Amino acid sequence: MSPWICPEVLLVLAGVALILMDALLSPGKRSLLPGIALVTSCVLLAGTIWQSGQPMPSSWGNLFVTDGLSSVFKPFFVLCLVGVTLISVRTPMGREEAVRSEFLALPFFSTAGLCLLASAHDFLAIFVALELVAISLYLLVAFQRTQVRSLEAGMKLLVMGGLSTGFLVMGIAWLYAAAGTTEFTRILLEQAGRPASLALLLAVGLIVTGLAFKIAAVPFHAWAPDVYEGAPTSITAFLAVASKAAGFVLLVRIFGFGAFALDSVALVFRPVLLTLGIATVTLGTLAALPQRNLKRLLAYSGIAHAGIMLLALGTLGEAGMGTVVGYLWAYLLASLPVFIAIQEVERIYGNADVRHLDGLAQKDPGTALGLTLCFLSMAGLPPLLGFSAKLSVLSTLWNAGEIPGLVVGVIMAVVGLGFYLVPIRAMYWEREADSVPICRFPRFLVWILLVAGLLQLLLGLQPRPLIRLVERSLAPSVSAIIQDK
Amino acid sequence: MEARGVAMTLTWALPLLLLLPTLGVVAIALGSDPRKTALGVSLLNFIPAFLVSGVVLREGEILFGPEVSTLREVFPIQFRLGCDGLSLPLVWLTLVVTLAAMGVARGEVKRSKEYFICLLLVGLGGLGAFLSVDLFYFFSFHEVALIPSFLLIGIWGQGDRTGAAWRMTIYLMLGSLLLLLGLLGLVFAVPEISRTLDWRVLTETLRAQPLGVKHQTILAALLLVGFGTLVSLVPFHSWAPGGYASAPAPAAMLHAGVLKKFGLYGLLRLALSMTPLGWKEISWVVGLMLAGNILYLGMASLAQRDFRWLLGFSSAMHMGTLFLGLIGGTVLGLGGALVLMVGHGLSAALGFAVAGEIGHRTGTTWMQDLGGLAKKAPKLWFYLMIAGMASIGLPGMANFAGEIMIFFGAWSTHPILVGIAAWGVVLSSVAMLRAIRSISSGPVSSAMTAQQTSDLQGAREVWPYALLTILLFAIGFIPNLVLGPARPVLERLIQP
Repeated sequence: MSPWICPEVLLVLAGVALILMDALLSPGKRSLLPGIALVTSCVLLAGTIWQSGQPMPSSWGNLFVTDGLSSVFKPFFVLCLVGVTLISVRTPMGREEAVRSEFLALPFFSTAGLCLLASAHDFLAIFVALELVAISLYLLVAFQRTQVRSLEAGMKLLVMGGLSTGFLVMGIAWLYAAAGTTEFTRILLEQAGRPASLALLLAVGLIVTGLAFKIAAVPFHAWAPDVYEGAPTSITAFLAVASKAAGFVLLVRIFGFGAFALDSVALVFRPVLLTLGIATVTLGTLAALPQRNLKRLLAYSGIAHAGIMLLALGTLGEAGMGTVVGYLWAYLLASLPVFIAIQEVERIYGNADVRHLDGLAQKDPGTALGLTLCFLSMAGLPPLLGFSAKLSVLSTLWNAGEIPGLVVGVIMAVVGLGFYLVPIRAMYWEREADSVPICRFPRFLVWILLVAGLLQLLLGLQPRPLIRLVERSLAPSVSAIIQDK
Repeated sequence: MEARGVAMTLTWALPLLLLLPTLGVVAIALGSDPRKTALGVSLLNFIPAFLVSGVVLREGEILFGPEVSTLREVFPIQFRLGCDGLSLPLVWLTLVVTLAAMGVARGEVKRSKEYFICLLLVGLGGLGAFLSVDLFYFFSFHEVALIPSFLLIGIWGQGDRTGAAWRMTIYLMLGSLLLLLGLLGLVFAVPEISRTLDWRVLTETLRAQPLGVKHQTILAALLLVGFGTLVSLVPFHSWAPGGYASAPAPAAMLHAGVLKKFGLYGLLRLALSMTPLGWKEISWVVGLMLAGNILYLGMASLAQRDFRWLLGFSSAMHMGTLFLGLIGGTVLGLGGALVLMVGHGLSAALGFAVAGEIGHRTGTTWMQDLGGLAKKAPKLWFYLMIAGMASIGLPGMANFAGEIMIFFGAWSTHPILVGIAAWGVVLSSVAMLRAIRSISSGPVSSAMTAQQTSDLQGAREVWPYALLTILLFAIGFIPNLVLGPARPVLERLIQP
């Protein structure tokens, strides 16, 4: 099969087509665009899932590879795109932002960048792909340009994103100086069995810092809550799920398979990553407790999840990498539906304050049940999917003998219940039905939320499909095969 | 051969026990009458329970589910259910208390749909935990009850319901996660080749190749703190009295009567048999803690002025006596603990049911306002007496049988603790008798006259109380109802 028919290319083509359609269609037919975008993203998702099952040639020189990890995460990112498009379609736009097609098309470009990232096998490719993601996002975050919050968020993301790119480029430069190459396999071959030079360690440190901004790890997290709150909800979802996942996929790839899967690097960076993880999960959880805005709440909860994943990643073993992959999927399945619901709340009330959920259980039991299951899954309560994910993190830490990480992880899981129960409490026991203005979610969204909630339960009871994904993502990658030779 | 074939078919009764309440939940969610449905499935559940009991009495145990796989999988969880002589009494306790709770629960409560769904889920959680053979499900089922309890107290509770709900939920979550660590420790203690989540296989492996003493001690300590929090062992008890005092009566019945026994069951099942040496090492800590339960909570119960709080404290206090049975290390003591578990489950359920009914009919549970209840509502007063006497440990009731066996069982090894526990009996008698005196005798209080208090009316309202009372006496007179099937299992448990 031709390597040209890959999700990245199709995504870009679809994005361009959307923009062209906006220009060429008669004004009356422009209202069809959201529907077209949604259908296109669904078709792309089906195509990506189908394609990820096919044996693919490793192409594009050694810049990009197709392996287990990339085939597991391309559908992930395109699924995010479907969710984001669904939320975007429901986003009300003012007269000034009437250029709707760009709001719909830019995520396609960003997703193309994410898919490239999942395959990137060279730091130069990473840089290009990351910029493709980031520049689209700068535009999208500030898209509601008549709202100060949105502009402020865009500005913050621009500055922080620029800073993180700076770190990353600096790291790549040092890496080139230390290893003479930016290609993963060659770095690995070059450096294996040698003590790490100071330049290499500096390079790894700078690159990890750059990525830590992307995943919003402490102490590089401060941008997240403000940006999440100010951005349009669909973009918040994109940042919280897709962008964060991209950072982790990169970390998994460089520490698990390529480039920095070196004992000499692990010696130094295992404690660093674990410490980052402990700090991130602690701060994320504690700072989430007083939040009463759902978007900020999810921002901090996302920081806490990043911390948990960093703990698993920090063990730097195969189990840890697999755990991160599984955890990301669980996180995606639980948080996307929540963002869909937040969009509806915002649509009705203008903001995402948690008190707007008051009494939802009586007005709309299906939605409330679905949301409750998603929140509880994020909190890691059995028998939901999030519990399996958290359990695998805890058992990875136990097996690796990382007692401090384990203890902090457990304590924060308990504390975390304190803020995940806040929306649940609002839905079920705040105020009685008659004192609340009537708001109803559209029927299809209720079904989506309900199905998403039940999915948490089903996958929690039988996580085998996810385990298959994890196993596939760990299938021997190209670099590992070369290393064997 | 024939009988075996029948037994094989009957294994379907095990998942049926869990399926019926689940179907009840779905039916209520879809709109059938909440109270009738809940009562119906709770009663229907007795049929599979009888089938299960038949097989257990005949064959010793009953299992459902796929064969144990020791294949190394990433996540080797398997939906396996089982029931033997030890879990059988607890399964019956769950069924009886659930039925009684549904009988006591009022159909006309606000948001009755969610109310009965939550109650059914709490019962389902307890039942599933007692029936699970796979540690994943064992743990998960208990957690299923966590959020419904939070909602039950928060929405339908009384007093400081918000605080009580939060405290209880966060506390129980903490306990559960510590317990989870202990369980992980047990699973990972086994070499990778024979690693499994099936506690039956795990027990065999860990008995064939025991762990080192230090390793066992760490695991036993984790399990003790984890399960201990769920059982409200001092100093991890502070969620219990307030939580029970604030919960609506059926929720308190299910929680104090059934869910609390999960912790004890887990210790019996896992800690005692898998880490026996570690358990011996830390038994002095358990001794200190249980003395705290008996003396500290016993004293605290003396100071209570609200009947619900008194019940909450005395329920938590009796956990001390139960733990004495667990560290005695004799079959007699363990058997006593099992009998007391059942007895306490029944008597606590009866107590909370009566307290809830009194609160509903008089508008108060302050004991000074309840004077003259015996005149106004003699039937309620009668069941109040039964619950009180059972909790004191009056001979003839299940609690007495359990306590006396525990005392005899622990006498040779822990005479001082037996002395303390005897003091506990005195303390609880004083607290309970004072309460009963102020409630039953004396002039009819102004609150009672003002409220036009009525008594329980007819069989329709009396049967839940009568059911619990009859069982309390039945087990009190014939403890072998519980002990008979359990004895072989208990003997195997503490075999060296």
